[in-house]
Amino acid sequence: MSAAPRTIRFTLNGRTVAAEVAPQESLVTMLRDRFALYGARESCGQGLCGCCTVLVDGRAVSSCLALAALVDGRAVTTIEHLDADGTLDPVQQAFIEAGAFQCGFCTPGFVLMTRQLLEQHPDPGDDDIRHYLAGNLCRCGAYPEIVQAVKLAAAKRRGAAG
Amino acid sequence: MMPFDLVEPGTLREALALLDPEDSAVRAFAGGTALMLMMKSGFFRPKRLVSLNALAGDVASLSLSPTGELRIGAMVRLAELERAPEIRRAAPVIAAALRRHSNPRVRNVATVGGNLAHGDPHMDLPPVLIALGAEVEIEGPAGRRRLPVDGLVSGYYETVLRGDELIVAAIVPPQPRRRALYVKCTTRAADDWPALGLALSLEADGAAIRAATIVLGAATERPMRLAQAESLLAGRTADAALIGEAGRVAAAEAAAAIIADARGSSAYKRRLLEVELRRALARLLDLPAAGETR
Ligand SMILES: Cc1cc2nc3c(=O)[nH]c(=O)nc-3n(C[C@@H](O)[C@@H](O)[C@H](O)COP(=O)(O)OP(=O)(O)OC[C@H]3O[C@@H](n4cnc5c(N)ncnc54)[C@H](O)[C@@H]3O)c2cc1C
Ligand code: FES
Ligand code: FES
Repeated sequence: MSAAPRTIRFTLNGRTVAAEVAPQESLVTMLRDRFALYGARESCGQGLCGCCTVLVDGRAVSSCLALAALVDGRAVTTIEHLDADGTLDPVQQAFIEAGAFQCGFCTPGFVLMTRQLLEQHPDPGDDDIRHYLAGNLCRCGAYPEIVQAVKLAAAKRRGAAG
Repeated sequence: MMPFDLVEPGTLREALALLDPEDSAVRAFAGGTALMLMMKSGFFRPKRLVSLNALAGDVASLSLSPTGELRIGAMVRLAELERAPEIRRAAPVIAAALRRHSNPRVRNVATVGGNLAHGDPHMDLPPVLIALGAEVEIEGPAGRRRLPVDGLVSGYYETVLRGDELIVAAIVPPQPRRRALYVKCTTRAADDWPALGLALSLEADGAAIRAATIVLGAATERPMRLAQAESLLAGRTADAALIGEAGRVAAAEAAAAIIADARGSSAYKRRLLEVELRRALARLLDLPAAGETR
């Protein structure tokens, strides 16, 4: 590898893809500019707001702080993949039912973080939710509804499992 | 960001060979959470980044020996550390401190090595690891060396690491009869850089203190051991008067080193230190927090 653009291959939303990227290109830029995936968007650019959240090898990351070239060989999942089978993810459904957004700019990040939260804490309390989502900002201030949505999603998931 | 050379070696040996002791624009890239901020702001313009993300084995894993010694590979992610059963058993203060570190996305990628090597006085792990008496293992062209974490950060964003050396692991000795606590004091938003970080570790039987380690972070140029407060406590049986005195002694000995910034004046941070140390000691020793005034 060097300063020249290089071709990387990785799994994007379940498909193997390739892209030519420059070393300094961030992951969020590549996803938007090369793959027209606009669910992750750069807002703060500093890891603070969560608007650029994607999963790399199953773990939520800020794609504004990740270098595209380093996802070579890894698996990237974006919000666009959650309804790949034609039905919304229970977390997406819960956000709609609870009305947990206004403009929706922050929603992809909140949804992806909520999924990770529920994997670690299947039945989170208010404090767990607030603490876990402290790195996601909603400028419309839909926080009370977001907390409701997380609880609703937890209940849906438990229902589906049980 | 300006273009740069990006390499991702598969072994530690290759990674070391790609570093350049003469050129500060050649850097190791671990989680990248600190470096990306510096690169995006144009504060750091790399010529070459040596990604450590393809390294496996020792440098990327965590283990607890039968004697209770923890070995934390430099590439262990903070989220892994936070959840590891070994940490909860051998040094729960580390897991507790990480709960207030950044957010779950940053912790998923940020590494222990990056937290130690960055040299920013606001980092949470250095004071905690110093309080636990931890060491860092460093590898360079001349082989491996070990250093107390206390000797690693030499100044504001400065460490004693040479340009061709890498941190391989942090080693935390067994902690029998020790209780430890980390207090992170933010004065603006809860996730702002702290005005003060305070790590302490006590070896005690009930209120009888055998030894104390007290480390101040964030408020000073580099993490600072508060030796006078430590020796005041050693060998004494704690009561309200003693822990109040420890707070005052600590504030006095740190006074000259404390830096004023947007998070508080130096007088304010001295007072924070006095009060927070007293409260932390009360918590660790199960005493009422004496001298509370309001
Ligand atoms: C939104 C946000 C919030 C944050 N909040 C906190 C917080 O609350 N507390 C806190 O402590 N920090 C915080 N940080 C800082 C965070 O970046 C560091 O804590 C993190 O641990 C750095 O690790 P990294 O692997 O990402 O380092 P990198 O960015 O990869 O590297 C940092 C420095 O360390 C060097 N380096 C990395 N690994 C090694 C190695 N093995 N050997 C030698 N040198 C090495 C690099 O060359 C570079 O100079 C925050 C960062 C962000 C973006
Ligand atoms: S844009 Fe990446 S976290 Fe805000
Ligand atoms: S719904 Fe608008 S930012 Fe959250």
